[in-house]
Amino acid sequence: MRELALAGFIAALSGLVSLYATDHFGAFAGINLGLGGLALLAAALLGVRRLRALGSPHSRPVVIRGVLRIAVCLILAVALERAAQWSGVEFDWTREGRFELAPATLEACQDLRNTRATLFYDPEDPRIRRTRLLLDTLAARCPLRVVGQVLDEAVFDEDRYGVGSSNSVVLEHGDRFETIARPTEGTIYEALYRLRSRLSGVLTLLYGNGEGDIEDERDLGFSGFATALETEGYRLRRVASAALVEVPTPTDALVILSPRRHLPDPAVNAIRRWLDAGGSLVAFIEPGVTSGLEDLLGDYGLASPDAVVIDPAYAGRNEIGASIVAANYEAHPVTQGLGKNRMTFFPGARPFHLSKPQGSDRLVRVVLASHRAWVLEDPALLDAPEPPEPGPNVRRNYQTIAAAGRYVREAREIRIVAFGDAEFASNRHLRTLYNLDLALNAVHWATEREPAITLRPKIRSIVQFPLPIESTLSALYGIGLLVPEVLLLAGGIVWLRGRRD
Amino acid sequence: MQEVTAAIDALGLTRRFVDHTALDALTLQVPRNETFGLLGANGAGKTTFIRLVTGFLLPTDGEVTVDGISPSANPAGVRARVGFVMETSRLYPELRVDAFLRFAAGAHGLSGKPRGDAIERVVERFSIGDVLRRHIGNLSKGYQQRVSLAQAFLHDPSVVIVDEPTSGLDPLQREDVHAILGALRGERTVLISTHDLAEARSLTSRVAVLHAGRLVTQGPTEQVLDSNRALSLFEAPEAGLT
Amino acid sequence: MTPLLALIRKEFASLFGSSLAYVALTVAALVTALTFFDHLRLYNQVLFAYASTTMGGFASDSIPDYINLWDLVFFPVMEQLGLTFLAAIPLVTMRVFAEERSRGTDELLLSTKLTPNQIVLAKFFVTFAFVVLMMAVSFIYPATAITRGGLGVEHLAAVFTGLTLHAIGLASIGLTCSAFSRSQLVSAISGWAIAFILWDFGWMQPFVSEGVANVLDAFSLHPRYGAFSEGVVSLANVVYFASLAIVAFGLARFSFDLRRVG
Repeated sequence: MRELALAGFIAALSGLVSLYATDHFGAFAGINLGLGGLALLAAALLGVRRLRALGSPHSRPVVIRGVLRIAVCLILAVALERAAQWSGVEFDWTREGRFELAPATLEACQDLRNTRATLFYDPEDPRIRRTRLLLDTLAARCPLRVVGQVLDEAVFDEDRYGVGSSNSVVLEHGDRFETIARPTEGTIYEALYRLRSRLSGVLTLLYGNGEGDIEDERDLGFSGFATALETEGYRLRRVASAALVEVPTPTDALVILSPRRHLPDPAVNAIRRWLDAGGSLVAFIEPGVTSGLEDLLGDYGLASPDAVVIDPAYAGRNEIGASIVAANYEAHPVTQGLGKNRMTFFPGARPFHLSKPQGSDRLVRVVLASHRAWVLEDPALLDAPEPPEPGPNVRRNYQTIAAAGRYVREAREIRIVAFGDAEFASNRHLRTLYNLDLALNAVHWATEREPAITLRPKIRSIVQFPLPIESTLSALYGIGLLVPEVLLLAGGIVWLRGRRD
Repeated sequence: MQEVTAAIDALGLTRRFVDHTALDALTLQVPRNETFGLLGANGAGKTTFIRLVTGFLLPTDGEVTVDGISPSANPAGVRARVGFVMETSRLYPELRVDAFLRFAAGAHGLSGKPRGDAIERVVERFSIGDVLRRHIGNLSKGYQQRVSLAQAFLHDPSVVIVDEPTSGLDPLQREDVHAILGALRGERTVLISTHDLAEARSLTSRVAVLHAGRLVTQGPTEQVLDSNRALSLFEAPEAGLT
Repeated sequence: MTPLLALIRKEFASLFGSSLAYVALTVAALVTALTFFDHLRLYNQVLFAYASTTMGGFASDSIPDYINLWDLVFFPVMEQLGLTFLAAIPLVTMRVFAEERSRGTDELLLSTKLTPNQIVLAKFFVTFAFVVLMMAVSFIYPATAITRGGLGVEHLAAVFTGLTLHAIGLASIGLTCSAFSRSQLVSAISGWAIAFILWDFGWMQPFVSEGVANVLDAFSLHPRYGAFSEGVVSLANVVYFASLAIVAFGLARFSFDLRRVG
């Protein structure tokens, strides 16, 4: 009987394994399951003989009680499970369940009273849950009315608002509306900002001499940055650098994006005069380029040699670390809220060396690479077949890749923010990590609009952001491997003590 | 109410398994405060009888009581009265002796001062004070048997059942255990299961001989062991005295 | 209460007096840490690869939706660990009852005031406590990594709640098998086999009606614990594993009756 049961068990199991492995009910699975089932049945029938012992006057009550006990356990188990199923009680422990709204979103939402958010949805759409949670969280924190509308039941409204698919949100404020096709906190925030449309200031941006173009929508263009500035309420004025003899007024800040050639001398002089008169500048320069801005920045204590900062902290296996994920910031309004868990990404940055022209000047190294960073003096070596290595005299240290200066000259305040990389604000990388916040907050600070400095919601859910590899590794060594080591040690001591006495 | 005169009273006790009958209509009384021997070769049914008395097994037919209590109907009542000493291997080798005794006392329902007193009593009685801090698995078989005896006496039972007390022990250890068991004579009811004739002679006042699940003979030890050739006691019932 | 507490204390002493418990904890913590780290590193690499080669960087529409922490880390880790524990838990539970029977110490227990109910309850309790400890120890590293990454630990807590309940479910099955056998090897093998059979009844769907398929689905282990990876802890799923433990208790308790009957 036992041999039959064992053989049947093994055959049935083999049939099941083949089913799982191949997802196909073939001859092997069929024969094994069939024969296995038959063998088990035969073993069970043979086992009926054992039931004779259960029929004795002493055994019967014990067995009956035991079987009843199992039946009660089964009934209780099924009843509890069904009751729980029917109750539908759930505990949502996803981060979606607890949206932490960015300060900018709350501010925009609270400014716009009597705004209605209509969610157009298909009841079968699984994305609805998350969107509802987001809208409910918003409605709980600010005066927003949320309404749901099943798609195809309000065709006129869908046409009017241009709703093309399920999970679309329409924000209405007065007679204005914004349709959001992919509602996330980020897109809702931008829609609220557009509805609010508050004028923040005027920015003058140079173009034409190899500078980054705010109308260029390609990878390395800056149209995204321009859109973001306009969303923040700035009016943008493009001025050809070749024609610049005087920075036009009104200009709250001059923004120079990624000059690729030397700016004409008249333009540089115009910029210098503009600054001396108490102007503000936000400069995005690139390694491997001499634009004339470097000397000007150097005069204001923000010297930037034509070199590249190499930071291996976040480098992949075959990379040397020319791309920097910065997680170190000094306290400054420009980097408000940024930190170890809110990083910024620079595809390639030149360093800054700070020295105060006057004692009263305030210079801050706002963004720094890691303590393992070093400076490659010749950027051309990045293209060499062999990756460059730091020489024996090269020191590894926190390297400044963005700096801010505040200067008082004859009762006039000058503000300069300089970034050693422009590509971080390009269309390709603007929305990476917290790049957008850094770039926009730099402009807000330069234009003395500190109240506008904030952290904006990310377009994508935060869970698509990389986790800092350094802290993951240190956690692995410090805990992930240490805990098993300690446990094994304890086990070994217990074993030895057991043998010793 | 009828007075209970036997500590253990078996009447027509039968236990059948699927392929054999371990006990066949056994009728046997173990008098109170006597050291009674259950004698038989391996497979005679001694261990089955003990298991039926302690309630580990249920009889197929017949009855058995301990102090008038049926282990089928009231296993807790029987457990409170019986101390059971198994073969030496049936302990927890990974536990220290003191931890094991604390557990056994707790399992017998003792706590606080009564537990401490009980442990002290058995430690002294069975002379295991020197090995309290040692792991049971590292003790000699002799000391393991002392520990096994000690745990059986924690709750001061009126009936003690000892199964093969000297199995696997060397002569010196065997003598040790005999001395301990001998000191129990007259103090409480002791049932010793053994296949060793010399052991039965030295420890017991009465014996019952089993063979193939049946009672061959029973009576005062000297009478049973002297009036037949020793080996014939292990033959078919017809060969022995009834 | 005293005999029950005494047995629970003894069970813990036996468990942690043997180096096997520490080995089990070590292996659980190590396997979890390495599995988690491996997936986390891959996720980072994939994300950086997309960020550096596509327009818009990390947060652009060009990164596929499936490149996210849930799909690339939490879900596969949970699947992998679920199968790992299916293999490991029966090795933890195989000795619980079987060793007592093979040693004969079950009779020692039954010769005291301990009732079979108390014996089964104590052993279930201690085994479950050990399984929870195993999960807690395994949870430390992933929780630290996630928290230091600035992400909430709540979702990970849901994942580990699911894994813990899954492990308790497997332990219930293993304990039942151990209660019906003298041999630890047979206990382990039957524990694996039954857990494997109960894993997922999806393969039966072509052969049975929808109603039967739904019932079988309700009994399956995998759909129940897999739901926790989404971060939603459903009471029905929690109760399912508790129910499994209740039924296992009843069956293990019945094994004592069968032994008396023989």
